[in-house]
Amino acid sequence: DSHIQYERVGADVTMKCGSMDWDSAVTWTANGTDIDESHLNGSYLILKNVDLTQSGQYSCYEGSPWHLKYQTYLHVGVPPKEPVLMCRSNNYPKGFYCSWHLPTPTYIPNYFNISVIHGTREMVCEKDVFPKNRCHIRYLQLFSTVKYKVTLTVTNALGKSSTTLTFDEFAIVKPDPPESVVAKPVPNNPRRLEVSWQNPSSWPDPESFPLKFFLRYRPLILDQWQHVELSDGTSHTITDAYAGKEYIIQVAAKDNDIGTWSDWSVAVHATPWTEEPKHLTTEAQITETTSTSTSSFMPPPTTKICDKGAVVGSGSVAVCWTAGLVLAAYGVLFI
Amino acid sequence: MAAADSASATLRRRDLCSRGIRLAGKMRSDVVDLLDTYVERQGLDASASVAAVEGVPVAAVERWDEQTGTQRLLENLAAYRAFRALLAQMLEEQQEQLGEADATLGRALAAVLLQVSAFTYHLEELLRLENRGPPGEEAAVPPMPPPLSLFERKLRGLGVLRELAQWAVRSARDLRQLTKPGPGSGVAPSPAESP
Repeated sequence: DSHIQYERVGADVTMKCGSMDWDSAVTWTANGTDIDESHLNGSYLILKNVDLTQSGQYSCYEGSPWHLKYQTYLHVGVPPKEPVLMCRSNNYPKGFYCSWHLPTPTYIPNYFNISVIHGTREMVCEKDVFPKNRCHIRYLQLFSTVKYKVTLTVTNALGKSSTTLTFDEFAIVKPDPPESVVAKPVPNNPRRLEVSWQNPSSWPDPESFPLKFFLRYRPLILDQWQHVELSDGTSHTITDAYAGKEYIIQVAAKDNDIGTWSDWSVAVHATPWTEEPKHLTTEAQITETTSTSTSSFMPPPTTKICDKGAVVGSGSVAVCWTAGLVLAAYGVLFI
Repeated sequence: MAAADSASATLRRRDLCSRGIRLAGKMRSDVVDLLDTYVERQGLDASASVAAVEGVPVAAVERWDEQTGTQRLLENLAAYRAFRALLAQMLEEQQEQLGEADATLGRALAAVLLQVSAFTYHLEELLRLENRGPPGEEAAVPPMPPPLSLFERKLRGLGVLRELAQWAVRSARDLRQLTKPGPGSGVAPSPAESP
């Protein structure tokens, strides 16, 4: 018969060779490797201050050829610390789920038991197949002021620990982030971005339990976010974007009346519409500054080629027009 | 003519539901603020558990999604009529207990009482539109509770406000259900209309 035993890290372990007498001549192996006699006290195997590396199969043999007299698998581990428990409703009003984990590993198998009490009623928490550390509860009542009490107990061969959460029905409502966030430039509008998104698919009835949204956006070159809260609809047009700058945009959701905001959605990037720059095909044209005008080639306004002091009549345009003609002719020669 | 009346009634119903939803939202927000003020002024622990008190309508409901429109309206109306009486009583007790020394609490209670009254009117109108007509007032008002000590009255007040906050959320949801097309929003036909 093969046995299993669990021991704490740091413990002193004494293994007996089954029903063999203390003074029997035996040989012990660990994972098939002979153990030095210095670890024996008679036929007992003594392991002092065990550590995790000493987990394994220990076998005791008698005589020659060896007869296997006793075998055990030693698991070295630790008792469980207080588990971390979280409960949340991302599908209100259908129900909520609780998930848990241990803050540090125990290195041996653990068993989890969860109880959910609402008033005097014990509710069933159905364990998910995956992930294994989660279960879900269907609401039997809505709009109750009676708190829910969830107790999680984790047990292993070396000890147990538990934790309890108490909460209101409304307090744990937290939707999943909005989905399918899309941001697009608006043609001919250098300061606008159109953002749209969808309700999280896990939210079962957005018509009866509408969500509100929080949108945040910033140009990549700045750290400061702009925020907009939207009480209805699943789209918004940003109208104060910096022209030509790439933006990062995210959206969060919350039930209109209760609970907390979701995590931020996956970030999307978008740059507002900009006019296509004119292509300059000659060396002379490349060295000139670009004009934003869509009219035919004109001297750029920054080019100071005329003397404002010589202006007559309506202004500098009269004198500069002559200079402009000269430049236009120059440009034509090199097209 | 019948079609025009029906269309008019539908529009009126939607309008009442929309206003009611907004009023419920505002009411809840004000009740939550009032709860903070009440707990502070009455020297209570905000996390104190209050057992269900006789006469205070409980918002908790099972199978909420299966209720008909008429059931929703009737349950809401019974609740808010009860709250109207309970808040009026709380206001009177608060004035006797603290008088003008705590006008803030008195004003906040009075404001919420006004909202509860307005919401009650909305519900009565909605029931009239369903050809149901609201039930008599006497049937909805709970019996007077036995005399309570000062501390018991304070705790009962806490329970009243907590349940009212829950009801405000439930009412907004109920009214949204009424505006949805489909069986969940439907109302049972009145005896005159049933086949």
